[in-house]
Amino acid sequence: MAEKFKLNAHETETLIFSRRMIVAGVFIFALLSILIAWMVYLQIFRYDYFAARSDGNRLHSQYVSPNRGLIYDRNGELMADNRPIFNLTVVRETAPDLNASLEMLRSVIHLSDDDIEQYRTRQSRRAVPHTSVPVRYQLTEEEIASIAVNQHLLPGFAVEAQLVRHYPYREIAAHALGYVSEINKEELVEMSEEQASNYRGTNQIGKTGIEKTYEDLLHGRVGYETVEKNNRGQVMRVLDRTDPVPGRDIVLHMDSYLQAVAESALGEHRGAVVAIDPATGGVLAMVSKPGYDPNLFVTGISRAQLSELNKTGHTPLFNRAIASRVPGSTIKPFIGLGGLYHGVITPETVIIDPGYYRLPGRTRPYYDWTWWVDKSGHGAIDLRRAIYQSCNTYFYGLAVEMGIDRIHDYLLTFGFGANDAIDIPEASAGIVPSTAWKQENRGEVWYAGETPYEGIGNGIFQATTLQMAAAAAAIANHGVLKQPRMLRGTIGNDGEITDVIFEDTAASKQLLPSPEQVELVRNAMVEVINKPYDPEHRRHEGSAYPTLRDSGRPLEYPMAGKSGTAQVVQFQVDSAGNRDESEVPEEFRTHAMFIAFDASAQSRIAVAVFVENGGGGGSVAFPVARAVLDAYLLPRTETFDEVSVLGSNAQ
Amino acid sequence: MATISRQLSNNFYRLSNGPGAIWQSFRIDAPLVFFLFCLASYGLMVLFSASGENISDVRSQAAAIVVAFVVMLVVAQLDVHFFRRGAPLMFAGGCGLMIVVLFFGVETNGAKAWLDLPGLPRFQPAEIEKFLVPMLLAWYLSTRSLPPRFRDLVVCGVIIALPVGLILMQNDTGTALMVMMSGVFVVLLAGISWRIVIAGVVALAMASPAWWIFVAQPHQKNRILTFFDPYRDPTGAGYNIIQSQIAIGSGGVQGKGWLNGAQSQLDFIPESNTDFILAVLAEEFGLLGVLFLIALYVAVIGRGFFIALTAQDTFSRLLAGSIVLTFFFYAFVNMAMVSGLMPVVGLPLPMVSKGGTSIVTLMLGFGILMSIQTHKRVLPR
Repeated sequence: MAEKFKLNAHETETLIFSRRMIVAGVFIFALLSILIAWMVYLQIFRYDYFAARSDGNRLHSQYVSPNRGLIYDRNGELMADNRPIFNLTVVRETAPDLNASLEMLRSVIHLSDDDIEQYRTRQSRRAVPHTSVPVRYQLTEEEIASIAVNQHLLPGFAVEAQLVRHYPYREIAAHALGYVSEINKEELVEMSEEQASNYRGTNQIGKTGIEKTYEDLLHGRVGYETVEKNNRGQVMRVLDRTDPVPGRDIVLHMDSYLQAVAESALGEHRGAVVAIDPATGGVLAMVSKPGYDPNLFVTGISRAQLSELNKTGHTPLFNRAIASRVPGSTIKPFIGLGGLYHGVITPETVIIDPGYYRLPGRTRPYYDWTWWVDKSGHGAIDLRRAIYQSCNTYFYGLAVEMGIDRIHDYLLTFGFGANDAIDIPEASAGIVPSTAWKQENRGEVWYAGETPYEGIGNGIFQATTLQMAAAAAAIANHGVLKQPRMLRGTIGNDGEITDVIFEDTAASKQLLPSPEQVELVRNAMVEVINKPYDPEHRRHEGSAYPTLRDSGRPLEYPMAGKSGTAQVVQFQVDSAGNRDESEVPEEFRTHAMFIAFDASAQSRIAVAVFVENGGGGGSVAFPVARAVLDAYLLPRTETFDEVSVLGSNAQ
Repeated sequence: MATISRQLSNNFYRLSNGPGAIWQSFRIDAPLVFFLFCLASYGLMVLFSASGENISDVRSQAAAIVVAFVVMLVVAQLDVHFFRRGAPLMFAGGCGLMIVVLFFGVETNGAKAWLDLPGLPRFQPAEIEKFLVPMLLAWYLSTRSLPPRFRDLVVCGVIIALPVGLILMQNDTGTALMVMMSGVFVVLLAGISWRIVIAGVVALAMASPAWWIFVAQPHQKNRILTFFDPYRDPTGAGYNIIQSQIAIGSGGVQGKGWLNGAQSQLDFIPESNTDFILAVLAEEFGLLGVLFLIALYVAVIGRGFFIALTAQDTFSRLLAGSIVLTFFFYAFVNMAMVSGLMPVVGLPLPMVSKGGTSIVTLMLGFGILMSIQTHKRVLPR
């Protein structure tokens, strides 16, 4: 009967248990009340806050970069287009362990320290959170596949297609077109608020050349879209979109064929060629050698690539066409015009050239080039012959008679001493010396002994190849100077070209000498090339004539020109008046210059050639100038590919 | 007369002739099964959304639920005396299994707690301790008179400490905590003096600084710091709870609709189909959905309370009470941690979270409850 005994205890135990269960029930009630109150707080009182947070999680405003405007040459050839590439990008916020992922990526794709460093720079200047930043550009198909396979190990990373700039002509027009490259911090800082917001979706900006000058036209307006993204940053839906406005397509005066001809005519030489349409000032060709492939810069050039570019020491990035230098004898036609204008000389003025010039009352001789040949001079010589024979003695004297300040004032009217080009802001202004200039820049007075050298372009005066071409074009254009310009206009959908440079800013200038005076110099320049040997008279042939004759190909159009040779170092002249020209290392060889133009009544082209350490202007630079004129004026027999090896590679 | 007829018509086990009689003969407690069925169905619906509309996940979960119901029904067939008599033996067997685990266990998520026997699905012996510990305690205390004396409490302490120690050696703190609580509930229900309870709580509170300084692992400290300020590491330790709160809060009263939760569908909620499934439910079904879930839990717990209170002997009462309270504890801890009321502990939401083992173990417990409810003896009056 143990049961009986326990019965009483059983009831107490039931009571204890029941009480405890009630306590437990109270606890449960209390805890659930707290939980429900908390849920009410979260879901009702803080609903707005959390709903906004939730939208913030999934909704992203992102910028849609506009397609950059295309660049065409005068014949409708594409000189800069946009090409799709595939980039590896990352949204930092969704990559929990970035360093591990990057380390992992190194084993999967080619990712150098340089790439990672560049990525970190990009990441650090990204302004908008939750947007993707490129880690590596231009993935190969194999790399895209390997990334896809390892995607689960790479949270936050994605492969995105992007249109980037591509320059099909590569080296050929690199300096003229310039290139785009990644926007850097300084550029961002310089931008106005409005500009900066317009570049939110853009990674690249024009750095040099046309790309920089016409950045505003080419860039376009950024678009926006609101997208829904998942936790891995993948876009699930596009909810709202404002389309970007693509950049304007532009047309240049440039002729890509001519550009390629000029490039190959320079051959292995370093140098520059600028060709201008005298009627408009439009730059038909602007070549600088050595060149570089601008495509390297578009997505960021690596250090290795940059040092590879610079290893020759010949500064391929430097645009020689807009760098100023001593012009040599190519300046003589302009000095001659100055003399005529100021009435210091007339076309009939004749001097006697003994082979050297002496300042009045001084003994120091300024030698003519004939002195180095046979210690004789040109004898009796007028302006016309002084130009086509390139007589130094004549111009020494003329310069001295004019005086440095009149030379200065006169040369300014040709656009020397200032960057006259409308849309080549990077061009050097050159130097046109005067007494004031020298005092200001060198802190010295002008010495009379310096003036003769200014007459032959081997003094202080410096001009760019572009300026020489523009000045030559002014003579070709019968004395009407047109400001050089690259842009022909923007091109609309209908193919209509609109000039966006207003005419009044592109003023043409009637030069001061009379048309007859210009005509005299123009004809003298024709004779530089065309005046043949005269058996009766010594030294009556054009200075470039021997080269023309030796080429075996007579000219098929009237061509005018002027050669020039600029000394790089002063030659040692001994007491007997002999100079030592033996064993001159290449970098001390003279620079060869040539300016030339189509000498027909309606001149269609003027060109300036500069061959660095090339030797003689008549023998080295003249053939280059001729090749350019031939290519422009004669029917084109060769295709672009035949002209340029690079061209064929680029296609 | 009525009593006699009842005794005649009912065979040994029957208590009444009411509509529940037929269920009772199959050892089924209809209300409990109904509420559990509702919970499981609701859970499956949420899981379908939480697993990204992955039908195969839902299918395997449904299979687990079917197995779990079968297990519950089988367990319910066993007489409650079977549990009472078998308690010491089963407890010993359970401890034995855990020792085996220590040597031959398989490691998952840092806990060497799983047995992978050929021919059986992988399982975690420690899970069953949640029932074996209360069973042995209930058996022990039912042989003593209540409230327990101090000596009994010492014995109870040993009974709890032994398996808990073994589980801690498996490096599974979460389960150890649950097993301990299931034992503590028995002792509390047995009528342990409030003074001792309060003393224990105070002692725990006083020991906690020492625990923080000497015992706590860095990841445990981190969890607690994150609880107080999730934004100290918003993309790391705090990410789960921040995203989970955003999901819950943005659900509002009515929710964003089934399969329409932005947080859930765009994968912002980590472990959205296991521990953090409540966030998905709250986002898509809103406050109403949460209240409905709590209501279902309350219904199950209420039925459990009824079973415990109407149980016929101390053993049954203590065991039933412990099972119900452990179930509540489970559900509450999960909901509180997902909503940011408590530091994060790795516990699933019972009957809803994905995971077959969890559901089968839970239903095993409800099987015992049904056994208690349906094996009542008619006492002579």
